[in-house]
Amino acid sequence: MNSAPKPESATSEVLLSISDVQKYYPIREGALQRVAGHVRAVDGVSFDIRRGETVGLVGESGCGKTTLGRVVSGLTDATGGAVHYNLDGTLSQIDHLQDLQARQFRRNCQMVFQDSFASLNPRHLVLDIVGRPLRVYNEASSGDLVERVVELLEQVGLGRQHLYRYPHQFSGGQRQRISIARALALNPEIIVLDEPTSALDVSVQAQILNLLNDLQAERNLAYLFVTHDLSVVRHMADRLVVMYLGKVCEAGETQSIFAAPHHPYTRALMAAKPDLDDDRAGENVKGLDGIVPDPARPPQGCRFHTRCEMATPVCGWEVDDVVRWLEDEPGMFEHLSGVERQSEFNAELAFDSEEAAAKLSMAIRSESVPAAMKSALKRLKLDGHKVDIEFEAVDEVQLTARDGGRLASCVLDPDEVAAKSQ
Amino acid sequence: MLDATQASENVASVRDLKVHFQSKRGVVHAVDGVSFDIQDGETLGLVGETGCGKSVTGRSFLRLLPVPPGILAGGAVSFRPHGPCTACEGAGCEACAKTGRRASGDQPVDLLSISLQDMRRIRGDRIAMIFQDPGKALNPTLTIGAQMSEVFLQHRTAELLDRAGLPPDTAGAVRRFAAQEPRFGDGLILKFPPKRGQRAKLQVALNQMVTEALAETQVPNPAKLMDRFPHELSGGMRQRVMIAQALACNPDLLIADEPTTALDVTVEARILELIRALQQRRKTSVLYISHDLSLVRRICDRVAVMYAGRIVEIGTTEDVFANPRHPYTRGLMAAVPTAGTARGKLAAIRGTVPELVDPPLECRFAGRCPYETATCRQNDPSLQPVSGGHSVACFIDHPTGSQDAPSFDRVTE
Repeated sequence: MNSAPKPESATSEVLLSISDVQKYYPIREGALQRVAGHVRAVDGVSFDIRRGETVGLVGESGCGKTTLGRVVSGLTDATGGAVHYNLDGTLSQIDHLQDLQARQFRRNCQMVFQDSFASLNPRHLVLDIVGRPLRVYNEASSGDLVERVVELLEQVGLGRQHLYRYPHQFSGGQRQRISIARALALNPEIIVLDEPTSALDVSVQAQILNLLNDLQAERNLAYLFVTHDLSVVRHMADRLVVMYLGKVCEAGETQSIFAAPHHPYTRALMAAKPDLDDDRAGENVKGLDGIVPDPARPPQGCRFHTRCEMATPVCGWEVDDVVRWLEDEPGMFEHLSGVERQSEFNAELAFDSEEAAAKLSMAIRSESVPAAMKSALKRLKLDGHKVDIEFEAVDEVQLTARDGGRLASCVLDPDEVAAKSQ
Repeated sequence: MLDATQASENVASVRDLKVHFQSKRGVVHAVDGVSFDIQDGETLGLVGETGCGKSVTGRSFLRLLPVPPGILAGGAVSFRPHGPCTACEGAGCEACAKTGRRASGDQPVDLLSISLQDMRRIRGDRIAMIFQDPGKALNPTLTIGAQMSEVFLQHRTAELLDRAGLPPDTAGAVRRFAAQEPRFGDGLILKFPPKRGQRAKLQVALNQMVTEALAETQVPNPAKLMDRFPHELSGGMRQRVMIAQALACNPDLLIADEPTTALDVTVEARILELIRALQQRRKTSVLYISHDLSLVRRICDRVAVMYAGRIVEIGTTEDVFANPRHPYTRGLMAAVPTAGTARGKLAAIRGTVPELVDPPLECRFAGRCPYETATCRQNDPSLQPVSGGHSVACFIDHPTGSQDAPSFDRVTE
């Protein structure tokens, strides 16, 4: 796989560099647990994080954003590609680090998890939880430790009175503050924030977001902010990476993406959640049809074409699209007996009766299928109870550079996307 | 509140509802004197933070609260079921907006005091509920078709027999099957002729009814969906099944308890569209419980803001969002990050929701309120009207005897 281009990053020092990272999870089947395929959770993602900046990583559930966060922080190893971290001026690959260097990376890259209840040990006191990193790294011991922990707690808006309590004695917002205090203990350079506020109420979310901003300004921290909430990410992030089904579909400066999204998916995400002070709230709110396709068999071409309302014939229509469409048609899927693939774009659909096969070949020529899919069709041959279908073969849509350091992976250019969404 | 002429059009009215919970530390006043009306055909939004009692209020309509530790400490939830429209005898006319039903002159029933049998007749039939997490609310061991059937077997026995072409006075095992009251040995009786044919007819009618109900929620290929188990469906699809199940019997009141919180934004938009469309077509009243202000603004006619077991502000959506009077409502709205907010300058409400164990006689928001005065610590404000249909529980608009009222710029742009 050729690596996708990266957003430009010349202005300031690169702290962490993600290049073409892939993370596949094997699907095991049968008594012998043979590997039958792979779920492509993250499938070739590249971007840089600079010192002191916040990069927002957004997408729907199941798009691989959390997995990527875990790869970045070294909690899971990447299947392919590499994450490089800036250790004393040189970029080193994090899974090749040894001894001291590995320790240095781990203390500089911390993580805050979504569920503060699950990520704090219920049997440990706050003193133990926040003081543990200090002890592991021999930063402080006994008497000194308590003072250091108090200092950290005060930074996140808690105090000495909270030292000897258990996590269950705190509210959700306070627990998240404890998680942040723990992450700050070793004075890291980057914190991976995995949906830190999604379990919190808006008023508490505002407190936590303000706290994160203050800490960033104070310590020149870099954040990788993983979230599905666009209003939060617009507030927090300098740059934005939008993921869909394991791939980046758009990246660039937050402000410019919000001003003019270049990818239909970004546009759909924004349209689905209008602002509170948007006067047009209630009108023009559009969702997306269908579900995220199976990441074990991602669609060809552009991965979003199955749900895209402005899909074109060159977006990568394939046999799976026909099968998916058949599934939702009453009285046809039941008659489908087999699919014999020559390639992703060419297959023979076998039905159990000639009638059903004829019905399909009629239906595909009719108005009931998406127009773009119909025009992408190269060959449709009815042969008894079999239908031979061939689509135009299309390469995977690559992330391409656009104006202003933006990246987007759409076959349409931004003006066309804007025009079509009117 | 509302005058007498309007009161007759209320589907439900809650009066001074108090639900407490017994805990180790004392009695928690989860809902403490809540009063509001749900008008016929409207969508009322109930917003507030976690732990302010909005879900408990919603659940008390159907008495779905665990008692004990729950204590129904007082108040009433009166519900006025719809009857057939008197003008057109259920055929659908202008007066009843083509639904064939309208609020009848029947005496309202108090949902908190009726017997459990009566409650069971109302649950799922006249009042239905959509829960937050469709993954947990659906039974994982039953197919979608089987659990959808239960609604019809429970509440639509007569219609089912009619569709199957069986006489309405059918008795014995077949009737017991249609009414979901199986007895020992019924399974065997229904397996052999002559009852076997009748059972098959019932099943066909039942499947037809379920398919129709599912088709209402725009699921693709409902017939195929019926044989699926909940875990095979996506979150959005599960929520559609929940909605189909809730609306199957055409209820008069739908209680939606954060139905889209577990869903992605793109799916959420679709589900809201669906609820809105079905609600407008059937003129069902909806109590929409949510913590998301932008969402409530989008779909609700009126909004009630809850805080610490009380309603602090209620009014039409336009009034409340254009001119929020309660400092808590203002705080909630300011805390949502928007395009114009400077980084790190979000207006957070300081502190946290107070514990509701034996609350003192003072404004519940005192301590977090930026406009607080001495009065707020000594008196408990009650909900008072400020303009037509807009009421606020705050001394800002209704200073107490001491005239020691806090003040803020009343009208926001």
